[in-house]
Amino acid sequence: MQVYSAPLRDMQFVLNELHTDDGFGDLSAFAEITPELAEAVLTEAAKLCENVLLPLNRSGDEEGCHFENGVVRTPAGFKDAFRQFVEGGWNALVLPAKWGGQGLPEALGKLVEEMICATNVSFSLYPGLTNGAIAAIDAYASDTLKETYLPKMVGGEWSGTMCLTEPHCGTDLGLLRTRAEPAGDGSYKVSGAKIFISAGEQDLTDNIVHLVLARLPDAPRGVKGISLFLVPKFLPDAAGAWSVRNGAHCTMIEHKMGIKASATCQMLFEEATGWLVGEPHRGLEAMFTMMNAERVGVGIQGLGIGEAAYQSAVWYAKERVQGRSLSGTKHPDKPADPIIVHPDVRRMLLTIRAWNEGCRGIAGWISRALDAEKHGETPEVRQRAADLVALMTPVVKALFTDLGLESASLAVQCYGGHGFIRESGVEQYMRDARIAMLYEGTNGIQALDLVGRKMPAEMGRYLRSFFHPVSAFIEENGGEGAMAPFVTGLKRAFEALQGATAMIAERGMKDPEEAGAASADYLRLLGLVAMAYTFAKSVRIAQARLAGGEGDLAFYKAKIDTARFFYDRLLPQATAAFLAIKAGKASIMAMDEAAF
Amino acid sequence: MSSIATEPVRKVCVIGAGVMGAGIAAQVANAGVPVLLLDIVRDPADRNAVAAGALKRLQKAEPAAFMSKRAAKLVEVGNIEDDLARVAECDWVIEAIIERLDLKHALYEKLEAVRRPGTAVTSNTSTIPLGHLVAGRSEGFARDFFITHFFNPPRYMRLLEVVAGPASDAALVARISDFADRALGKTIVACKDTPGFLANRVGTFWLQSAVNAAFDLGLTVEEADAIAGKPMGVPKTGIFGLVDLVGIDLMPHLKASLTSTLPADDPYHAIAIDHPLITRMIGEGLTGRKGKGGFYRINREAGKRREAIDLASGEYRPQAKPASLPSAAQKDLKALLALPGKAGAYAWAILGATLTYAASLLPQAADDVVAIDAAMKLGYNWKYGPFELIDRIGGADFVARLEADGKAVPEVLRIAAGRPFYRIEAGKRQYLGLDGAYHDLVRPDGVLLLEDIKLGAKPIIRNASAALWDIGDGVAALEFTSKMNAIDGEILKLIGQAVPLVASKFKALVVYNEGSAFSAGANLGLALFAINIAAWGEIEKMVSGGQMALKALKYAPFPVVAAPAGLALGGGCEIVLHADAVQAHAESYIGLVECGVGLVPGWGGCGEMLARWQAAKGLPKGPVPAVSKVFETISTATVSKSAAEAMDLGFLRPTDGITMNRDRLLADAKARALALAEGYQPPAPPTYRLPGAGGKAALELAVAGFRARGMATPHDAVVAGHLADVLTGGEADLVDTVAEGDLLALERKAFLALVRHPGTQNRIEHMLKTGKPLRN
Repeated sequence: MQVYSAPLRDMQFVLNELHTDDGFGDLSAFAEITPELAEAVLTEAAKLCENVLLPLNRSGDEEGCHFENGVVRTPAGFKDAFRQFVEGGWNALVLPAKWGGQGLPEALGKLVEEMICATNVSFSLYPGLTNGAIAAIDAYASDTLKETYLPKMVGGEWSGTMCLTEPHCGTDLGLLRTRAEPAGDGSYKVSGAKIFISAGEQDLTDNIVHLVLARLPDAPRGVKGISLFLVPKFLPDAAGAWSVRNGAHCTMIEHKMGIKASATCQMLFEEATGWLVGEPHRGLEAMFTMMNAERVGVGIQGLGIGEAAYQSAVWYAKERVQGRSLSGTKHPDKPADPIIVHPDVRRMLLTIRAWNEGCRGIAGWISRALDAEKHGETPEVRQRAADLVALMTPVVKALFTDLGLESASLAVQCYGGHGFIRESGVEQYMRDARIAMLYEGTNGIQALDLVGRKMPAEMGRYLRSFFHPVSAFIEENGGEGAMAPFVTGLKRAFEALQGATAMIAERGMKDPEEAGAASADYLRLLGLVAMAYTFAKSVRIAQARLAGGEGDLAFYKAKIDTARFFYDRLLPQATAAFLAIKAGKASIMAMDEAAF
Repeated sequence: MSSIATEPVRKVCVIGAGVMGAGIAAQVANAGVPVLLLDIVRDPADRNAVAAGALKRLQKAEPAAFMSKRAAKLVEVGNIEDDLARVAECDWVIEAIIERLDLKHALYEKLEAVRRPGTAVTSNTSTIPLGHLVAGRSEGFARDFFITHFFNPPRYMRLLEVVAGPASDAALVARISDFADRALGKTIVACKDTPGFLANRVGTFWLQSAVNAAFDLGLTVEEADAIAGKPMGVPKTGIFGLVDLVGIDLMPHLKASLTSTLPADDPYHAIAIDHPLITRMIGEGLTGRKGKGGFYRINREAGKRREAIDLASGEYRPQAKPASLPSAAQKDLKALLALPGKAGAYAWAILGATLTYAASLLPQAADDVVAIDAAMKLGYNWKYGPFELIDRIGGADFVARLEADGKAVPEVLRIAAGRPFYRIEAGKRQYLGLDGAYHDLVRPDGVLLLEDIKLGAKPIIRNASAALWDIGDGVAALEFTSKMNAIDGEILKLIGQAVPLVASKFKALVVYNEGSAFSAGANLGLALFAINIAAWGEIEKMVSGGQMALKALKYAPFPVVAAPAGLALGGGCEIVLHADAVQAHAESYIGLVECGVGLVPGWGGCGEMLARWQAAKGLPKGPVPAVSKVFETISTATVSKSAAEAMDLGFLRPTDGITMNRDRLLADAKARALALAEGYQPPAPPTYRLPGAGGKAALELAVAGFRARGMATPHDAVVAGHLADVLTGGEADLVDTVAEGDLLALERKAFLALVRHPGTQNRIEHMLKTGKPLRN
């Protein structure tokens, strides 16, 4: 059964306790967001997600989207849910107040996003991509375009898409063919085919604002000749009513493994009227503003599904009775003990739980950085925050989504054969989780981004934003005492990460294939260290609270228990990743292509 | 030969205080030889004004003409009306007046009357044949007369073309050449008396054909310079950038003088055409960097925009980065010539014509290929000479392509018949003579090059960044081989291995290399990487490892002579400071520049400098003056602009040696090392009396003053504070004696504190990114 109630206590811990010492400071832009206000927002969001979105998750998956005569219909209930969503202002939670948004911090917004993804990841894609489009328009478009489109998009009346992929080009956008001809009046005629366009067509909003990558007639070849255009589904008529259908049509929707309630469209642009966003030939830059923000969002999808998988598995493990505990009967009143008594079931449940809490801890840190990057008090703080966001974006995206699938798969395992049956609800998590490892740049591309771009950028400065706080924490908390086992484990993993970083930098400089061969393991290693760091920080706080006897003691005890499990049973994977990196590319590249 | 040694050049007279004459005078003074600089009387009230003005300009020249303030004092100015008779005081008179035969004749006539017989008289003419110059002079004058053609700027350009006539006294030519070689540091290339001699003859042809081909093929100046620059092994300015640098208006002058003197059948006549655009540019004062702009300019009205001129329209437009050449074509001449389209065609248009022309000059203008190659390498900064370039292309391919083009093939290429002009045989470099046989390349006496030694030997030990060589007579040489000879863990490791090896098998060690820099210092990129990943333990190991390695050199049971040339910065300077003696090339730029990147010297540089200044004569008593002196030098990251200046700053001792000729450095260093080896005793470790906290407060007060006057930045003050802590001995008390080891510990402490400071991290990052210091 799909079971979910928002983990509000852990979310508040991450929001209010875990990252107060991250050096990004109190952001005065959000001074009015008190813990009480934040709690109210989270509680209301939880209600909407649990009561409105969760019930539509399985039904939407079963029904899927409908496509007839160029028109897309979302599954039953989505229209109404979207209306409630917009009426509550949830679509505009973190959007700029200037355009009618609520202007709340990302640190809060990402927690709400997690709830939305946990309850209905298909639904999350309708408002989700709109936010990316708003960010790109706000950063790059002319004032006229901003004033025309942003209020409606922020208001939830109109939605947005991002149209990058074409049938022959995905990762390598240099091959892009869609073209844009100047129409002479300042607008352009955009023509070409795009695929994999989430929410490219739907019945939730009155208008859809496509952001389309295309080439101008004089464009240089390759990625330096790509421009960004804003192409609305409807254009205004003479009276100013948005009634004129533009040449931007959905030609079919894809039949997919998961996220079936999200309309994934093939789009055809036929001399569609559009306007340039940003400078000619600089479209990729604008698109990547959007893409980078989206990548963190996709990571949150992995975390959301992981949390839903955990709760659904825990429910089943307590409910399902089979056999007896290996150490003797625990529930003599029942015909058999619930399966949660079994070490291996507990191992699976704790694994999912530790991944979730670890990812949530990291997400809280990076969300703080997203806020500090814009609102930090000094240029130094803004720089450091931007560096951390840049470095950790591929890690959040790839690590969280890899773990989301692993968690969903473990949940299916907890269910035994029943997990394989549609009605159990957990197999949908596996199918829905799978896409997040693919879109917005496959996880392999994320790993390459990390070692090939982020690691050497600015003479390696981005690394500092992560390595220095971890190193300082180890120095401050070393020695004897209750923290010792955690700091020892963190230190060992951190030294492996330092060693691997140096190794990749040295080998990769001489041979880029070495960096490529190490990339996926390196991303995992960095992710594990980040998780170990946030767990160690959590433990330090929890130990202090327990020692002081204040607050929710059961929560802090469970936090330490989860951390201990992570350090004992999951962090050793860091050693495996290090050894794999150390082995180098030789065995990966040795086999002849023909032998495959 | 003995007469050379017994008759040194004690005083020189330079007549003509233009750019060349004045520059030559400065270089003579740099050699420690007094020089009389004469020019005409222009102002009857201030009769020496012309030469005096030239001396003033010399003292402000950039790059510096004088190596030290002492050198400048050796130049005495005068005028040819009052002072010409004083040439009798001189052993060598260099005429460097304007290139007009009538004026030169008039001057020689006067000189003949006043000079001592046996005084060499040479002309710095670049165009007038020797035969014309001595016409009408006495036999005695003609015997003492020849041409010495310097290149601009005379301090820095190593080529000296020497042209002796049939009447010239060979012994006198040899004596002056020897002086120019040893004292002025020049490489002598003997030329025959043909127009333009060697370097300018080939160089002018090269520039003209490259300019012509760019117009013919419709290349932009940026495209042309990207091809005819680094990929050909010529200065990266390329052709148009180089013409901008030397002055576009010089081109017609060169052309006029060459066309008037070259034989009628010389191929230069055919290419010596005027381009209307260039004529117009000169007319409008667009003469290059010294003028209002050139082929390139920086448009200050458009926000310092870099612009280039369009060769077709003659209009300036924003500078464009040309498409980069395939990487093979950037390194391999064959690949460059094989490029399709304009790029390959342009490369061939230049190389085909220029190399053929150079080859056609043998044997009329020079005796062998070596002379022409040396002239182009030392006079035009080509990485390879014309014949070395032909070898790189492949002589047979080159000839085949000439034949395919229907071009005449010069005799020397026929003689080579596809064989290379240079080869290595039994560990010796050989060149192909005009007789068709290979001959050993013989270096002058006292020239020892590691490059030659390496041909016939294997290193005793080597790793990725350093090697140890046996240079004969029981002396070993430690060579750095890393990029910019930056010091890394590998170098320190090799030093550790070398010390016991040298101790057991050799008498002495020379630290020497033939890179463009002796050492640019510790590898900053590695340091920043370690900082970025918080590898503090590794950084500490690197600091203490460096300290141990350098002290191992200092206290080794054999003498160590450092022989720097070019940059010796930071850790490179510290190696120099730890040597028992230094034999430095005159062009050594030495300094402890750590503060510029927010650090302090960490490999014992602080202690070595303190020990020197404590022992220096002439400082007031007490511990403070030496500390202040060292603090001032290090905190401002002062770099010497010459070896002579390095001596003033204390980076070299008064007893250290300076070699003027780069090629003689290793032999001089080796001789010095052998001299020390006899009965060598390692030095005793120094002890220090340091002022402690009180002294530190005084230094910090001074820094606060600089801060208040805006002469020091906030992070300067942080760094200076740490430096002051080291130099004053930390917690030391005036009554205590501070040991060398204590100072090393203080260096480590300061260094490790600073690497953690964001201000320092930003400085290092900025330096690596831009090559310039960050003033934060």
